[in-house]
Amino acid sequence: MKVIQHLIRTPESAIGLGILVLLALVALLAPVLSPGDPLRIAARPLLAPFTDPSFPLGTDRLGRDVLAGIIHGARTSLAVGIAAAFAAIAFGFCIGLTAGFAGGLVDEALMRVVDAFQIVPSFLLALAFVSVIGASAPVVVIAISLGAWADPARLTRAQVLSIRERDYVASARVIGMHPVEIALKEILPNALPPVLALSAIIVAAAILTEAALSFLGLGDPNVVTWGSMIAEGRNILRSSPSLSIFPGIALIVTVVGVYLFSEGLTKTLAGRRAEE
Amino acid sequence: MTIAHLSRRTLLQAGSALLASTALPVLARAQNTPSGGRLIVAADSEPKNLNPAIVASNGVFFIASKVVEPLAEASFDGKDGLSPRLATSWEGSADGKSVTFKLREGVKWHDGKPFTSADVAFSALSIWKPLQNLGRVVFANLEAVDTPDAATAIFKFSKPTPLQLIRNALPVVSSVVPKHVYEGTDIAGNPANVKLVGTGPFKLTEYKPGEYYRLTKNADYWNKGEPKLDEVIFRVLPDRAGAGAALEAEEIQLAAFSAVPLTDLARISKVPGIKVISKGYEALTYQLVVEINHRRKELADLKVRQAIAHAIDRKFVVDTIFLGYASASTGPVPKNAPEFYDAGVPTYAFDVAKANALLDEAGYKKGANGTRFSLKLRPAPYFNETKQFGDYLRQALAAVGIDAQLVNADSAAHQKAVYTDHDFDLAVGPPVFRGDPAISTTILVQSGIPAGVPFSNQGGYASKELDDIIARAAVTVDTAARTDLYKQFQKLVATDLPLINVAEWGFITVARDSVLNVSNNPRWAVSNWADTALKS
Repeated sequence: MKVIQHLIRTPESAIGLGILVLLALVALLAPVLSPGDPLRIAARPLLAPFTDPSFPLGTDRLGRDVLAGIIHGARTSLAVGIAAAFAAIAFGFCIGLTAGFAGGLVDEALMRVVDAFQIVPSFLLALAFVSVIGASAPVVVIAISLGAWADPARLTRAQVLSIRERDYVASARVIGMHPVEIALKEILPNALPPVLALSAIIVAAAILTEAALSFLGLGDPNVVTWGSMIAEGRNILRSSPSLSIFPGIALIVTVVGVYLFSEGLTKTLAGRRAEE
Repeated sequence: MTIAHLSRRTLLQAGSALLASTALPVLARAQNTPSGGRLIVAADSEPKNLNPAIVASNGVFFIASKVVEPLAEASFDGKDGLSPRLATSWEGSADGKSVTFKLREGVKWHDGKPFTSADVAFSALSIWKPLQNLGRVVFANLEAVDTPDAATAIFKFSKPTPLQLIRNALPVVSSVVPKHVYEGTDIAGNPANVKLVGTGPFKLTEYKPGEYYRLTKNADYWNKGEPKLDEVIFRVLPDRAGAGAALEAEEIQLAAFSAVPLTDLARISKVPGIKVISKGYEALTYQLVVEINHRRKELADLKVRQAIAHAIDRKFVVDTIFLGYASASTGPVPKNAPEFYDAGVPTYAFDVAKANALLDEAGYKKGANGTRFSLKLRPAPYFNETKQFGDYLRQALAAVGIDAQLVNADSAAHQKAVYTDHDFDLAVGPPVFRGDPAISTTILVQSGIPAGVPFSNQGGYASKELDDIIARAAVTVDTAARTDLYKQFQKLVATDLPLINVAEWGFITVARDSVLNVSNNPRWAVSNWADTALKS
């Protein structure tokens, strides 16, 4: 509760939180707000925006409702973004915890693997992965998290390395706690918050990567995504720019919202630590 | 420099430099006269092998047809729809086992050596028949090429081969390359496959990968007074959106093969100084086809295939996806081939109620969620329009209770999935009709084709009746009887629906008004452009 109070106190995080809550609501209520398949051909093609009240944002090349696409696209973007970030953080955290706590050879080996993943540009990795395996929602999630887990792994390891030298860990060792117990009960809860602050940035990056993959035609073609909407609009950018602009705005608003929220979260966590 | 040092000489030097700087643009402009000038064309691909005798595809012809010539080219008003190039006449024997070509005399290769019947014999036996994608079919029964003199080549076949087929195939399969360059070498790896040597109106003088191909005038061309142009530059512009902008900025003067997207045509046609031309592709008709995997139990049922045919609104496809630059298909032969086309085949009007009734009759009732069954749909990625039709087909099938799941892939993965692994239920493909059904059309429905052959029947369809007609037509020498067999072929395909023909389209050329003699033959974009000119 205290965290949320802190969050609302800073204006940027309040705006960020507002945007995210609104998006989450739109995503959750998509079937109510715009029932039916958003990809169905609903009206005359290339209806200009703001001309027909039943299609406020107009229709695309085939006559599909742009507003329905944006509403349902929020679902895809948020779902893929959050799932990929969750997978990346969970995996990265486990690796970092193991490496930091075990030390020695295990640490060396794991960190070289992390190095390998950090060297390869994450988007290239996702691109290669999806084009080899084929595009579908779970594959896209795995592809994005493949390029995103290395940062949380490194951060976790650094946290663990500093925490495990603290006095309370030493005393836990002295009273004969099992190493696994120490890792889970003493180190994990204290190493987690900074990594969580990283999560928002990973979500934002994941949403952008998903959009870029769909833009290149490597998203799941059976669901509507903002990236694929921009890609389709690009062909007629000169005559109907709105088809690319609306999903583009949606993408920008989402990513800005996530960043603002993460900014606020980081400050709040830092403030809390200062209070302690 | 102070005023005191200003001498007569320095002033003169400065003056002449000034003169030269103004004279340069005048010189450059003076090149744009009808006899001469440099035509800059948008190219969107750079084929690895540029030899049209080996790779008979439009991407290769687009550049190579200006350098390497066929025996005859397609023509709007010539006899048999042909105009002579390296051959001046052709005649078939009554038994269909030989064709005699009289060759043009006084033709020289770009390296100065004379062109003779030996080059034709070598090209036919060592390249067209064994190596060329289409020549393998057309010249399957070619046994020998006799060369009684330097200007006569007699093709000998082991089985009757219709002259009609050879004639229709000539522009595409008969690119002649020099024997003295290729003989005794590894033909597929010969450097001349990239640095072409031909007899055509232009020589390939420079190729900068990723930038341009430079073709310069062949002063020794056999047709005196041609070519009109001094140079043709193919500028590589892989981004389709870029071609329209480059035309407006006068960076290029011509974009063929719909390099300017259909959606941009309405706007660009209003720009002064630019013309939009839909002529000149009559002999390269692309067909929008739904390929069907007959191994799927549901799709093996004729009623289901009829239902799918009824579920497709061809008017929507033509008007919305192709923006009117296409026409609805009735069967496997397009209207652009009047020699063979038969309008009297069963047609499938857009009728959702009838499609639903047919599916009910076939025993596939709608389930609780409104779906009868699910299919895997793979649209070919080659054209925007094939991808968009995939999106449309998914919706059209949803309207009759069939859930089609789209699977996108790049070209290589798509071809492997459909033509090698058969990992599809429905696929959207753009096969090409090349002037005669025997060249690349019958292969779409014929049975017994090994897996891995692209653009062939890989849906497991087999009909003895259809196979018989195809086999008989292949050896029927009499033109009228052969044409009649292909009319039966069309009827049978439209009745039994081994695949569903939806629409057929040609491409669009967009050019500056200054480009003259554009689109004056049915294969213009892939012909030699000897008479193309630029007005200043």
